[in-house]
Amino acid sequence: MNGKTLAFVVAGAVAFASAQTSAPRQNPAIDPNWVVPAKAAAQSNPLAGKPEAAMGGKKIFSRTCAQCHGDEKNPRKNNAPDLSSPDAQMESDGALFWRMSNGNSRRGMPSFSALPEGQRWQLVLYIRSMAGATKAETK
Amino acid sequence: MRSFIAILVLLASAVLSSPAQSNPYFVTYGHGMEEPGNLEITTQTTIGVQKHDLPNYWAPLLEMEYGLTGWWTTSLYLEGASAPHDATVFTGYRLENRWKPFSGEHKINPVLYFEFENIRGASRIQKEIVGYDGAQDEAIRDQHGEHEKEIEGKLIFSSNAKGWNIAENFIFEKNLTEFDEPTEFGYAFGVSRPLSSLASGKKCTLCRENFTAGVELYGGLGDWDRFGLKDTSHYLAPALSWQLSDSQVLRISPGFGLTASSQRMLLRVGYTYEIHGFGQKVSQLFGGKH
Repeated sequence: MNGKTLAFVVAGAVAFASAQTSAPRQNPAIDPNWVVPAKAAAQSNPLAGKPEAAMGGKKIFSRTCAQCHGDEKNPRKNNAPDLSSPDAQMESDGALFWRMSNGNSRRGMPSFSALPEGQRWQLVLYIRSMAGATKAETK
Repeated sequence: MRSFIAILVLLASAVLSSPAQSNPYFVTYGHGMEEPGNLEITTQTTIGVQKHDLPNYWAPLLEMEYGLTGWWTTSLYLEGASAPHDATVFTGYRLENRWKPFSGEHKINPVLYFEFENIRGASRIQKEIVGYDGAQDEAIRDQHGEHEKEIEGKLIFSSNAKGWNIAENFIFEKNLTEFDEPTEFGYAFGVSRPLSSLASGKKCTLCRENFTAGVELYGGLGDWDRFGLKDTSHYLAPALSWQLSDSQVLRISPGFGLTASSQRMLLRVGYTYEIHGFGQKVSQLFGGKH
């Protein structure tokens, strides 16, 4: 592979990347194929009685979730749902846990299964505390 | 003395210069993919400590990894090699692609890996060990003229369970320049877990949750004509990653040679910086919608 071919490959990758990241969707609907199994949705949060754990969840949220879902510093991307919205808050703890654990790579949602279970439950706890929170302007 | 200075420079650059879900591996791949639109830049160095008075060396590597989609990650590697009283050279580039064929999280998550390498014979990074890779007994300046084009494939299996990651890689490599050479095989196995399963509420750099510890076992499995462990190199490598901030990770792993063919030690040090939303920024630069 010579220099021209390499440049072509890199330019192609950048163009493809641009196409992938420039498809705004104002009101993202949950992928109908991304169904939470009933058993997973019924799981309860083992940290539910420990509101102090939500502070740790906030830290993980700003590190792993805020760049797409938004927080007070980061605007939310159009293809990522607002987790403080009633639609997201209607999900059960188990469903939120399952969605972040499994991800939906076809729709750009990564799996966060590499986070320890405890930290994922902390995230669920923090998401619960976001109900009605004000976010930075949607991007 | 020059080696010592080189190590100091490396460590200094590491302090000056993977993020959210980083594992500490250097050779083994798990099923974590780069997040779509993110660019991860890694500088990494392999310091080879050899046996039998063979010269030690250091091999720097620059990796740029980009998440094209949630299921496709692509990387470009630029590499070099240096040894005292020998030479310091650029040893080529590698283009890597990883595909995660199944969406969602499974008990065992397969990932397909394909890499094209255009490297010099003096390449020392030993991103993986295959065939009869072993002691580096030729001078870098003598090997610099040797061109090698190779393709490499990996079948990656990885699982996350109860805070642990367990990953197995089966590797094959084919030399395209000398096509008569048989296909070489290798393996890598890694297990790791974060030091804390809960995150503390305060902002901290030295909290246990910022560290992930693990161990890797990797080595060659001979080639198509002579598959097996005889005369092959194997390394046992404890590994530690330290999340310095939301976008920076430092990793270190001393790999100890286990067989007569192995080098005494492969010390690997890496620093990763992740640029969130890189693709979106590039898109905006060229007038794309955001």
